[in-house]
Amino acid sequence: MAGTVNNRIEKQPFQLSKWLHSRKGQRVLICIAFTIIPLLLLLVFTYIPFAEMVKFSFYDMRYTGDREFVGWQNYLDVFKRDDCFGALKLSLYYCAGAIFQLVLALFLATILSFKVKGGNLFKGFMFFPYLISGIAIGFIFKFFYTRGFVFDTILQWCGFQLDNLPYWLRDQRINNWSLAATSVWRYFGQNMVLFIGAIMSVDAQLYEAADLDGANKFQQFIHIILPSIRTIVTLNIILSITGSLSAFEQPYVITSGANGTGTYFVIMNEIAHVSQKVGLASAMAIVLLLIIFACTILQKLFFKYVFRDAESEDESYRAKRARLKAEKAQAKAQKGVA
Amino acid sequence: MRWKRILAVMMAAGMTFSLAACGDSGKGGTEGGSEDTELLSYSEIELGKDYTDLEVTISLFNHRTDLESDDYGGVTWKEYLEEFNKMYPGITVDLTTDTNYADDALTHLQSGDYETVMMIPAVDKSDLSQYFMSFGSLSDMEQEINYANSWEYDGQVYGVPSTATAQGIVYNKKVFEEAGITELPKTPDEFIDALKAIKDNTDAIPLYTNYAAGWTMGAWDAYIGGNATGDAAYMNQKLLHTKDPFKDYGDGTHAYAVYKILYDATAEGLIEDDYTTTDWEGCKGMINNGEIGCMVLGSWAYPQMEAAGDHAEDVGYMPFPISVDGKQYAAAGADYSFGINVNASDDEKAAALVFVKWMTEESGFSYNEDGLPIVAGSDETKLSFDGVEFIQDEPSVSGEEDLLNTLNADSELNINNVGDSKIQAIIEHAFNGDMTFDDIMAEWNEAWSAAQENNGVETTE
Repeated sequence: MAGTVNNRIEKQPFQLSKWLHSRKGQRVLICIAFTIIPLLLLLVFTYIPFAEMVKFSFYDMRYTGDREFVGWQNYLDVFKRDDCFGALKLSLYYCAGAIFQLVLALFLATILSFKVKGGNLFKGFMFFPYLISGIAIGFIFKFFYTRGFVFDTILQWCGFQLDNLPYWLRDQRINNWSLAATSVWRYFGQNMVLFIGAIMSVDAQLYEAADLDGANKFQQFIHIILPSIRTIVTLNIILSITGSLSAFEQPYVITSGANGTGTYFVIMNEIAHVSQKVGLASAMAIVLLLIIFACTILQKLFFKYVFRDAESEDESYRAKRARLKAEKAQAKAQKGVA
Repeated sequence: MRWKRILAVMMAAGMTFSLAACGDSGKGGTEGGSEDTELLSYSEIELGKDYTDLEVTISLFNHRTDLESDDYGGVTWKEYLEEFNKMYPGITVDLTTDTNYADDALTHLQSGDYETVMMIPAVDKSDLSQYFMSFGSLSDMEQEINYANSWEYDGQVYGVPSTATAQGIVYNKKVFEEAGITELPKTPDEFIDALKAIKDNTDAIPLYTNYAAGWTMGAWDAYIGGNATGDAAYMNQKLLHTKDPFKDYGDGTHAYAVYKILYDATAEGLIEDDYTTTDWEGCKGMINNGEIGCMVLGSWAYPQMEAAGDHAEDVGYMPFPISVDGKQYAAAGADYSFGINVNASDDEKAAALVFVKWMTEESGFSYNEDGLPIVAGSDETKLSFDGVEFIQDEPSVSGEEDLLNTLNADSELNINNVGDSKIQAIIEHAFNGDMTFDDIMAEWNEAWSAAQENNGVETTE
């Protein structure tokens, strides 16, 4: 109480130049000076274009010519057309691929983070595909899957007959698996390296202690490694799932989205650039954004539940409630005083 | 302390401005030029007499990357430019070619900083005068060149075609001979029979679709106009107002017959085995060596197929197998046209005009590239379509210049405009047998009619 009274007495008319020279003013000034350029860039190249896209999604328009406001019509179209939402089903192939890719990456990362002969060589080989550009990978796999070319030849060495092999890209039952496999091939090395990095940071003494307690390698993995790297696992899963919702490069380059491989992004690209329905494509982009939001939030909730370290989490929750209660009580008490 | 602060603020400001300045660069620079050059029009210029002492550098942006390589079988850019400099030593032509020309050219135009001479990409005709200078009025230009109306707007001509092509089928003569085909097919049924004969009697792939390349599929749209109807007004005028243009006319003509050839050939197994992994560069050598019977491509592809191997003499070019009342037609049209930058200086414009006129009249470019003649009244060409009438599409009626684009966008059929996926779908449905040809055409008719209705287009049967 005494402090506020003092302040009131010393308060003087606000002087800008003086404030600017004060320590506080300098701090604010420097903060602004340092953040203004990155913020400006962010605003100009991210948020303003995004706002424009939101605006476009309410218009019936082409790149040139007049535009007409149509309200929610574009959004209704996204849900009504079978090609827009049907394309999302293809994401399931890539989701399945992504899950396989993560399991494989985690498995190899665990092995490689222990002493393995030629471990670095393997790491290098498996990370290598990630360094190739997506377009180049597309062309590689186009020839890889061509009838009688690389893949068929390798399988023939293993004793398969060419007549019994499917057409990897022509057969609509398997061509999406073929494409998802290229995506796995490309990204699992990167996931693996991230996992290895995380596993490295686990305290080696824990393994020793577990060994003494008689835990086998699998138990060590479940009880030591997995809980220690859960942040990076969650991150990788979120990235992989959102990535598979927006799969583009593989279908676009290898099959150009034809023959039932047109994913949501490929269809969106075609609608925006070939048919020039900019409004509809913008609406599709926003719907996809919302879907990705929803997926990310669901995954977060899911992992909060899965990785809940029963005791500590519960306790902290209880503690938090207790603290909130106490704060409330205090506030009430203060009100009473006033 | 203080000057440091000032410096920091100035640097920050400088960086911001340099960003803002990016948008402006390139607008200036091309204006001005000497006053003494009087700009003659295309028809007034006499090659070898006018502007011979002009000294200027012009830039040229072109799509023919293959002509830049020394391995090219025909005349290369280097040889053309050397020949040009014999007549005009003062004019330096700075050449850039691009494999992704159609897209990149539009980007160049939009940036405002584009070459003095470029091949006109897909711009709306109403925007032509904003980018390119006029070569002269349509009536004047028609005296000089064929296909003058291909880039005409408001009576002014903005483009001179580099060459002209006809729509037909490139085929291997030897394969056809071995299959026992003595007379070239003239109707869809005869054509399918010929393909069957190739399949039965030779090892060659009867019809190679080039499905995977995409644009090679969209190329089928070019056959539904003059080739399938014999009507020069069909493509740009009547199609827009026809009710159900994809219906079965019953006499093996119109769009229905064109696409049905593709559907039937696929359904009967007369195309390549694995269509999803076709290879465009590879197909050139294959048809040259007799591994492919035929491919549906414009005549522009003919010289490339000839140059791709040792059997140039085996490659031939035949009319599309549709006869309207017993007569075959071939749609002929301008290939990429030269346009001249409207913002260039007068000197540059004069040099550009000279260059374009020289390319048209003196270079032999159109003849060398197996095209149809551009110079009015000339009959110099290697294509021999005996008894076939060339049809040059009439331009759209004034006021409807952009209607085809609008209907294309609305119906998503994208006829003659990168509508690759709809034609790829024909092959998929034919191969998987999950949709009949009549159902596909009915679906297209529905989409087309809906687009016509949305845009208030009057239709006739």
